[in-house]
Amino acid sequence: MSFLEITNLSIRFGGLVAVDDFNLSLEKGELVAIIGPNGAGKTTIFNMLTGIYKPTTGSIVLDGENMVGLKPYQFARKGITRTFQNIRLFSNATVADNVKIAHTMHNNQNLAKCMIRTPGMRKSEVELDRRVIELLDKLGLADKADFLAKNLPYGDQRRLEIARALMTEPKILLLDEPVAGMITTELEDMARLVPQIRRDFDVSIILIEHHMNFVMPIADRIKVLDFGKTISEGTPEYVQKDPKVIEAYLGGGYTQNGTA
Amino acid sequence: MSGKRIIKSIYPALILVVLYVVITTLRSVKVLNGYYIQVLMFASINIIMTSSLNLVNGFTGQFCIGHAGFMSLGAYGASVITSMVFKNAPAGATIPVYLLGLFIGGCVAAFFGLLIGIPSLKLKGDYLAIVTLAFGEIVRALLRLMKPIGGARGMIGIPMISNLGWIFLFLGIVLYALRNLIYSPFGRAFIAIRDNEIAADAMGINTTFYKITSFVIAAFIAGLAGGLYAHVVGFIQPDSFSFTKSSDFLVYLYAGGSGSLTGSIVGATLLTILPEILRFLSEWRLVIYAIILVVVMIYRSEGLVGGKELPFLRITRKDLYGGTLPQASSAGGKEET
Repeated sequence: MSFLEITNLSIRFGGLVAVDDFNLSLEKGELVAIIGPNGAGKTTIFNMLTGIYKPTTGSIVLDGENMVGLKPYQFARKGITRTFQNIRLFSNATVADNVKIAHTMHNNQNLAKCMIRTPGMRKSEVELDRRVIELLDKLGLADKADFLAKNLPYGDQRRLEIARALMTEPKILLLDEPVAGMITTELEDMARLVPQIRRDFDVSIILIEHHMNFVMPIADRIKVLDFGKTISEGTPEYVQKDPKVIEAYLGGGYTQNGTA
Repeated sequence: MSGKRIIKSIYPALILVVLYVVITTLRSVKVLNGYYIQVLMFASINIIMTSSLNLVNGFTGQFCIGHAGFMSLGAYGASVITSMVFKNAPAGATIPVYLLGLFIGGCVAAFFGLLIGIPSLKLKGDYLAIVTLAFGEIVRALLRLMKPIGGARGMIGIPMISNLGWIFLFLGIVLYALRNLIYSPFGRAFIAIRDNEIAADAMGINTTFYKITSFVIAAFIAGLAGGLYAHVVGFIQPDSFSFTKSSDFLVYLYAGGSGSLTGSIVGATLLTILPEILRFLSEWRLVIYAIILVVVMIYRSEGLVGGKELPFLRITRKDLYGGTLPQASSAGGKEET
């Protein structure tokens, strides 16, 4: 059995089957990309994998443990954390605080200690701050630690979302369109960053993306969705040549260098 | 170094002590009369109320509009202890009984906070506002029916133990505890819920737990303030804690600036003193007061202090390291690119 085993996952909203019979086995350290046109159900899968939606049928098993029915915060505690397609930072908090917030579930200082601010509590705050700066440094945000999140440029906000997700110490990281709306140089930075994160933080990654140039070189496997159904899966090379994919998603004019 | 840190950590308390000494001296040389002292006590109690409301509305992003309900529970809880249960306590036990009463009052309010917080804070959105509004009115209606504690006529003969010293002491403790709380993992969780509840949830924060925690702490502090208040005036009745009273605290909060303890201090102080200053206008007083509020809201919609915080009411990353950040790389305090 794989590390993360998703079987026959389906969800209906009234008459609409948003995701139909989705299966995925994810090994430790693997990077799988989910691609597909708008409305194919990619983000819906993420919403089920983080407890925001409860699947109509199917199962999500992480490390032998059934996850269906848990609340979103429990998914995070079990080790599945995500970033959001439409950035959801804590905009009035500083960059450092955004990352510290993601450490809340590992906090071992109780309410009384926090209110009195005991020496032990102060020490844990300093240690936390050091760790946060170290993490921000890896993502190139350390010099902006005291900025308010809302004042960051767009690309930095995306990276802060990743930093925040990493602070929860995830086993599986879900990246929802991490390069959406990015310019080419930012996109190239991210293409270097994602494999580096996978290595340094020892996480499995599931990635949703539209940019083919971004996905192809970094993904181990790709799953292609259309109207909630999986229409193709395999290595980037295989998927790229699959006529069904070309027809449904990439379109007739797709070439090696083009983007969808 | 460490001496400097100790001074830095106690100087906010020194401010209160100096203020207290100055005021009592002015009182003893008859510059300030009892009326001024009472206004100052009310201002301080209002600061306590407003900062506790700030914890829920300003920092956790919920909307409580029945805060006077918790204040009345605290006032009645404390008064029952001091003027009924331990009515015949020996003279030497007055202060311990008073402190016990304040604590019990806080606990009663916190208990009811928990009771209404559990069902209503599980919901998202504005339900808390409706529930707390109803709660405040229910408390008032029930207290009016309770004959043993005076019913609608209220409780009289409450020992007037609260003086400026006690109130300043509790003001100091409350502000210190709230500041520490806000700059702790708990406070960061509150702010996360305020800024983006979905993201907070996704980062492993049990939002319901933290919302209830914030709410219960605020209720406890409001109860404490109620106890202090009852022992200033010596007489309480259910109608002293009507919705009008709750809305006063909301006005202090938003006029001062929500999400900032400094804002609560400024808002509550100014707006407690302002109506007193305007007394010479007699019946025009409330009109002018309202106009001033409207003008403030139009020109400073983020409140008078607008989210800023006095140095001793915040804990920056620099403060963690005792004044200087470890690496030179940090931009330190800059907020704009």
